[in-house]
Amino acid sequence: MNRPSQSNYTREAIKGIASTTLQTNLRSFQERLGQGAMRMWVELADPEKRRRVKASRMRTLDHLDIILASLAEKVRARGGRVYFAETAQDASDYILAVARKNQVKRVVKGKSMTSIEIGVDPVLEAAGIEVVETDLGEYIVQLAGEPPSHIIAPCIHLDRRQIGRLFADQLGIDYSEDPPTLTRAARHALREKLLSAEMGLTGCNLACAETGQISLVSNEGNIRMATTMPPVHVAVMGMERVVATMAEHRETLQLLTRGAVLQKISTYVSFVGGPADTPGETREFHLVIVDNGRSKILADPEFREVLACIRCGACLNICPVYGKIGGHAYASAYCGPIGAVVSPLLEGINKHADLCKGETLCGACKEVCPVENDLPRMLSALRHKLAYGSDQWDTRQMNPAEAFAFRLWRHLVTRPALYRAGLRLAALLQRPFIGKNRMISRMVGPAAGWTDSRDLPPIARQSFAARWRQKHPPTPDVAKKTAENSGEEKV
Amino acid sequence: MNSEEKFFATVRTALGQAADGERPAKLFPQLFASPDPRPALARIAARGPAELAELAETLLAAATENRITTYQVSSLAEAEAVVVELVRQTDPEFSHTRHLLCHDHPDIAGLRLWQRFSRESVAVHTSFSQDQQLREKTIAACIGITAPEIAIAETATLVEISGPGRPRSTSLVPSIHVALLRSEKLVADLEEAYALLGQRQQLDSFVFVTGPSKTADIEATLVHGAHGPCELHIILLSEPTLPGDTAHSAQPAESAKQREDTPESTAPPEAG
Repeated sequence: MNRPSQSNYTREAIKGIASTTLQTNLRSFQERLGQGAMRMWVELADPEKRRRVKASRMRTLDHLDIILASLAEKVRARGGRVYFAETAQDASDYILAVARKNQVKRVVKGKSMTSIEIGVDPVLEAAGIEVVETDLGEYIVQLAGEPPSHIIAPCIHLDRRQIGRLFADQLGIDYSEDPPTLTRAARHALREKLLSAEMGLTGCNLACAETGQISLVSNEGNIRMATTMPPVHVAVMGMERVVATMAEHRETLQLLTRGAVLQKISTYVSFVGGPADTPGETREFHLVIVDNGRSKILADPEFREVLACIRCGACLNICPVYGKIGGHAYASAYCGPIGAVVSPLLEGINKHADLCKGETLCGACKEVCPVENDLPRMLSALRHKLAYGSDQWDTRQMNPAEAFAFRLWRHLVTRPALYRAGLRLAALLQRPFIGKNRMISRMVGPAAGWTDSRDLPPIARQSFAARWRQKHPPTPDVAKKTAENSGEEKV
Repeated sequence: MNSEEKFFATVRTALGQAADGERPAKLFPQLFASPDPRPALARIAARGPAELAELAETLLAAATENRITTYQVSSLAEAEAVVVELVRQTDPEFSHTRHLLCHDHPDIAGLRLWQRFSRESVAVHTSFSQDQQLREKTIAACIGITAPEIAIAETATLVEISGPGRPRSTSLVPSIHVALLRSEKLVADLEEAYALLGQRQQLDSFVFVTGPSKTADIEATLVHGAHGPCELHIILLSEPTLPGDTAHSAQPAESAKQREDTPESTAPPEAG
C-alpha cells in the first residue's frame, strides 16, 4: 500500500490508524470529552456566553494594536520586559539572548505550543542549553523523542507499558506500569530540574491588557513552578492571546477550561506580570509577543476569525478525522481541525495542502468550539485557494491536471447528449474491472487510490433518469422542458 | 523605525489603519469598559452569618469533589490542634526533618506553632520578605500554610494573592498545602472573586487554587500530586462572634443560631 509518492500526511495517518493504542485512547478521550462538551454547551446555564465571548474576541482582534500597547505598558510598569517579535527567528533569538545574558544552563518549560511553533528548543539546545519539558505528557514525549499528538494530552498515543519501559530506560527506575508510581518518578526527577533551572519558559493562555498580566492554566503545577522558581521567566505568546478586561478574561477562561476538559476551573490559574516580590523567586520577567504570520491572517477577513481560537482543543475531541489519524499526521505544533486551518495559514498553504483536504467538513468542530469558530468554512476557503491559486497566500494551483479534469467534467455534464454518450462509453469501459461481488475493487492510474480501502459500485446499465422516463412517460410539455434543462440528469 | 514600531505598523496595516497612526487607548474607552461590579460587591458586603454558612456548605461539598480535605473550626485554638495533628502525621517527602513554612499573616501567627513544636524536631518558619534563606526553607518544607484573602464557594477555589511576606511558592513547593480560611472570605462564584480582585489598586500576582496538583497524562488515569502539593487541606474558621463585627451585632438572632451550631462545627475533622 505504501507508494513512494505518498505524502507525509498519508504515511502518518496510516501509522495512526494502525496503532491500536492510539485508536483505543482517542476513542475513549473523544467519547468522554468531545461528546461531553457537546452536551455541556446544550445545558449551559447562560447560552449567550459563547456568543459574548466570541464578540469580545473579535472586538479585541479589531483593536489589537491598542490592546497590545496597553498590555505592554502595564507589564513594563510592573518591572517586566516586553519584546515584540515579528518572526519566529526574532523570538528565538531574543530568548537565546536572555538565556546567554543570565548564563542559563538549563531551561524548564511549561507546556507551550507557541514555543514549538517558533522552534526555540533547537535554538537553545544548539547553544548548549538543556531544555526540559515539565508537563508530564510533554516530558514523556520528549523522553521518547517524539512530537506531542494532542493539545492537552500530548502522549495520548502511548500506553502505560510503553511509558513504563521508557522510564525504566531513561530514568533508571524499576519497570512499572502503575500510573501513580510513574507519576511519582517523574515528580521527583522533574522537581530537581525545576528547582535548579536558571530559566522557566512558558506560553500564555490569556493575557489581560487591563491588568498587564498573563494567565496560565494548569493542573500539574509545573507551570507555576516554571514561572516562580527559576530566576528568569520568559513567557511567549501569539499576539492574539490577549483579552482587554478582567471581565472578558473571566468568561473566556470559563469557556477555556470547560472546552478543554469539562472543568469549571482547572487546578491552577496563575496570573503573573512581573518579577516576584520575594527573594529566591523569579527576579526577571520577559514577555515575548509573537506575530510570525498572524498579521497576515488578521489582514484577511476570510480568516481573521481563526485568531479568536482560545486553544482549548475541544475540536480535536470531536473531529472524526483526527479521532482516527491522530496528531502526528498534522506535522505541526497545532493538530486537529484547528491545526488544519491555522498551520497552513502560519506556515504556508502549499506546505500543508493535505490538511484542509483531509478534513470532512462535517461541521462538528464548529458546533463544539466554545467560540463557535467556523472552521469548516475556513477549510473550504483554504481548498479554494489551493484549487484556484491565490497571490495573497502565494498558492499555486495544486493540481493542474485535476483542474483540467474538472473543466472537462463541466463541459460534459452541461451537455446532456454528450453526457449520455460518455456514460454509455464508461459503462462499457468499466466491464473488465467489475469483480465477482459486482463491485469495482481496483482501478488503475490516478484513480487507483480511490479503491485502496473501498469498493466502487459500477455504473448502472440504465441511468435513474432513463428509468424514470420509462416508468412515467413524459407529457409533451415536460418532455420539452427536460430536454432544455440539461443539468438534471444524474446517474 | 525600531522593531517594536515596525511590529505595530504591521498590525495597524493588517487592520486597515494607517501604519503610523497610533491609536491611543483613551480614545477607545468602550474597549476597556466592564460590566458594573457594584451589584456583586453589594452582594458580598450584605452577606450575614447565615448566608456565609450556606456558602461554607457549598465550599465543603465542592472540596470533596476536588479531593480537598476540610476541617470546620470555630477558633484559632481548634485550628492549631488540626495543624499539630497534621504535622505529626506527615512524613516529609523531600527532607529528613519536618519543616513548616507559614505565610506572614496574623491569623497564622495566632496559631503560635513555634511554641507548640518547641520540644519536637519540627522547624517552623515564617516567610518574612527579608529572609535570604527563604528559598532553601521553602524547598525543605513538607507543609506550607497560607491564609487566603478570597475563596470561591462554588468550586472550593482559593485565591492566593502574593506580596511581601506571602510568596507564591508557599502554596506550591511543599508537599502539603494547608489553607487557614476565615468564612468571611467566602464569595459565591468566580464573578464575585473577580469583582473583589478588581477593587485592588495594585494587582499583584495571584493564583486560583482548586485542589491538589494532578495529572491524567498516562492513559487518562487521574493521579494526585504531580509537580505541586499532593494534598490540600482547608481549615474553615467560622468564629461565632467577631469583636467589632457589625454584621453580627446587628443580627443577634443569627448569632444565636450560629452558637447553637457550634457543637457540630467542632466535630472531629472529616477524614481525607
